[in-house]
Amino acid sequence: MPKRRDIVAIVLIVLPWTLLITVWHQNAITPLLSDATQIKTEKHKCDCSSPGRGIVEVVRTEYVYSRPPPWSDILPTLHVVTPTYSRPVQKAELTRLANTLLHVPNLHWLLVEDAPKRTKLVSRLLQDTGLNYTHLSVETPRNYKVRGDTRDPRIPRGTIQRNLALRWLRETLNVNTSQPGVVYFADDDNTYSLELFEEMRSTKRVSVWPVAFVGGLRYEAPKVNSLGKVFGWKTVFDPHRPFAIDMAGFAINLRLILSKPQAYFKLRGVKGGYQESSLLKELVTLGDLEPKAANCTKILVWHTRTEKPVLVNEGKKGFSDVNVEI
Amino acid sequence: MVSRTFKTFEVTEFNKSSTLEHEPFLKCIISMNSAPVIICLTCDAFHCFSQGDPNWLKPRGVEQRNEGLRWLREHRRASLGGASEQGIVYFADDDNTYSLQLFQEMRNTQKVSVWPVGLVGSMKYESPMVKGGKVVGFHTGWRPSRPFPIDMAGFAVSLHLILSHPDACFDGDAPQGFLESSLLHGLVTMDELEPRADNCTKVLVWHTRTEKPKMKREEALQAQGLGSDPAVEV
Repeated sequence: MPKRRDIVAIVLIVLPWTLLITVWHQNAITPLLSDATQIKTEKHKCDCSSPGRGIVEVVRTEYVYSRPPPWSDILPTLHVVTPTYSRPVQKAELTRLANTLLHVPNLHWLLVEDAPKRTKLVSRLLQDTGLNYTHLSVETPRNYKVRGDTRDPRIPRGTIQRNLALRWLRETLNVNTSQPGVVYFADDDNTYSLELFEEMRSTKRVSVWPVAFVGGLRYEAPKVNSLGKVFGWKTVFDPHRPFAIDMAGFAINLRLILSKPQAYFKLRGVKGGYQESSLLKELVTLGDLEPKAANCTKILVWHTRTEKPVLVNEGKKGFSDVNVEI
Repeated sequence: MVSRTFKTFEVTEFNKSSTLEHEPFLKCIISMNSAPVIICLTCDAFHCFSQGDPNWLKPRGVEQRNEGLRWLREHRRASLGGASEQGIVYFADDDNTYSLQLFQEMRNTQKVSVWPVGLVGSMKYESPMVKGGKVVGFHTGWRPSRPFPIDMAGFAVSLHLILSHPDACFDGDAPQGFLESSLLHGLVTMDELEPRADNCTKVLVWHTRTEKPKMKREEALQAQGLGSDPAVEV
């Protein structure tokens, strides 16, 4: 007759190994994807001792990864505003950005085309992603458009589109009844870590963080003092701007956007690098800024740019089938 | 995962879309010091190993891809046959753009599957030409007489084929544009190729390239000993 201490000893030895094997098994298998969330519950029985003795039962719940993640009533919504325009790499850029956004819970993608009307390419792409989205379009007037391919900072690309998104938010959402939210302006050629989206989620007014590869530097960043307050800007290019920060370097609480309906990006008479300031100075002061990313010491977003592809072999008349969408 | 700024940038580019994180049963081998990545769709965990500095006289990435092939062959030798040979090998450079659908398309590759690649070869896209479900030629604007005028991103190879041809690898001495052919000609013939992406009518991968970031102000500051904090990983 096994003694009680033998049974206890066996359970104490076997149980950790059972748990360890269960955890290893769970991590070794990447969860399957599906469009709907599925929760599987698995019971794992292990008869690890003498027959009829010391049966260990482990109940394990396995979450199947869904894309995008299920909506939560608790998490603030991230309203990600992306202006976009037609060019050969557009579909590739939007595909890549969508692949990132698909990981982020409670995300609403506000995609605004610089076009007289919404294009089929973007419409189809958005539908196929399964993301929560709003698709808008507004064409930049000719006298504001970039000439040729020059990235002339005096002409603020995307401004009209971002302003349309702000207007849509104000006309659609109610400051009193809407789910809490945060607004972020995400250009379609930057690179965003998933961590960035969680950092911005707690924004109370305006939060800020470093951005890599802007201003001719490895990164630009807000200067943060020992009290956790922003007091200046680590930048070479015009550091005395009210907000010497890139578009990718801040997020705004939705309530602030809705409660200050006159605040927009300024379109006319804006010097290069001042577009962000033209909006932020209507909303917040320097001392109100909330530093994120470990007090602005971590890089979570990169101002990458995609090369213009060489298409010389298409020739004047075009070589490839125009019906194949790129 | 990486230590130097340059390598961080390269690897981050690959994770730009977190594309791979959507894929189940994905094993990813990353060669350090390099742009190219070999992906093998199996149930295994993440592996990472280091390759010495590349020989810049050879096309970029050859040594790294071959190292990945070598690793696969050695690793699989330890687990003989059966399920361990189920898998697909795909060469995914870190600055391209991949749709999620692409990975589904390649999953049932028997030998070598192929599809169009956007924005490559100075064209909107290059593509195999398909007739009757078979590849009969290639739509390309540059050196169409190559055995396989296809970009590295435009094909995947079954792991079984890689393992059953232990000498097949990339030839670093191959002329420009012939690198892919140097591997494929030892593995498959044109009519054995399996067209994907709706008989090669859809573009599911793009040969995008990221601009080199402009850091003139950084360089000027560094010359004065005032460069940005190197401890901040970019």
